[in-house]
Amino acid sequence: MSLDAIIRLTEIMLALAVLQQSVEHFLGGRDRALFGVRILACLWMLTGWHSDGAVVTLWLTGLVYLHRFNGPYNGGADKMTMLITTCLMAAHLAPPGQWQELAMAYLAVQLVLSYFVSGYVKIVNPEWRSGRALVDVFRFSAYPVSESLRSWAARPRLLWLMSWSVMGFEVIFPLALLHPVALWIGMAIAATFHLANACLFGLNRFFWIWLCAYPSLIWFQDRVFGG
Amino acid sequence: MLLKTVSLLLPVLFPSWRFFKTVGPSPRVEYRLIVQGKEGAWQESHPIPERVSLGQMARRMVWNPERNTQLYMVSLSERLVSGVVDHSVGELNRMIAERLVGQAGDLQFRLMFLVPEGDQIVGEVLYESTPVSLAEVTL
Repeated sequence: MSLDAIIRLTEIMLALAVLQQSVEHFLGGRDRALFGVRILACLWMLTGWHSDGAVVTLWLTGLVYLHRFNGPYNGGADKMTMLITTCLMAAHLAPPGQWQELAMAYLAVQLVLSYFVSGYVKIVNPEWRSGRALVDVFRFSAYPVSESLRSWAARPRLLWLMSWSVMGFEVIFPLALLHPVALWIGMAIAATFHLANACLFGLNRFFWIWLCAYPSLIWFQDRVFGG
Repeated sequence: MLLKTVSLLLPVLFPSWRFFKTVGPSPRVEYRLIVQGKEGAWQESHPIPERVSLGQMARRMVWNPERNTQLYMVSLSERLVSGVVDHSVGELNRMIAERLVGQAGDLQFRLMFLVPEGDQIVGEVLYESTPVSLAEVTL
């Protein structure tokens, strides 16, 4: 796919993800002006008509959003949302050519880092290597979506296996860049991981917004490692 | 304003991506109503349900405001004990009060942080808010 097609695909996916988030806030009755504008910006972006204006609107309201919630409302999901928006805006505002490529490459590199760094900080921690950390996540952390899920804490062997599966996948994810088939497999595993996090921990926004960055990675792999 | 914007934007543009580096003390938000000087019992605000079915998990993929509010309250609790007080207190008061529409009295909340101690999970109160009149909390 061409860089233009990748940028457009990223725009469409971002618009749908932010639309989902914004409708939740809007119908919740809070901050309707802010989220109303974000909803309109997403619909504008979906039309494809002067979508650079929609991206800038989304970025500016993203700043207001960060001020309103004194930082992210939804942790890493909001960081990724703003990062994608920033890279798209840079790609639109930059002169065609290398600067556009640099903007999308930055997004792709950050996506790879999001897995690698997250895996690295776990794998150097003895609590994660022993499986104890994941036992504690289910045992007393605020993350399980229901009380019944806390019973998983009584299955340390399963959680040890899950810990090593996650850490192993995350730290070797950069190797998926070496071949397009490996990349598709890596992205499928990553999406499954996000889906599990959404089901078990209620992190649905992470699932959708991380998928939005995948087109940049497909382009980046072909640009850097392709024939 | 500009410095604040930069401080909000930098961690977004250069994220650390250190998800779940460690599993630390875990916050629970508890509140009580004080009516005519009589203090009610502490109860958890926005508790998680006993069970979530597969169907509910599927629906939550596209409609999940309740859970996202709970996650925001966890962030606010962690920010509050790390020193970001005014904004966090205001937001927590507002979100607790949203569940108490129609009730009267003063609202007080506390942050109970859970930690494992051997086979037990024990809680320590790290913050107790100043009571505010429910009528004065802006929803």
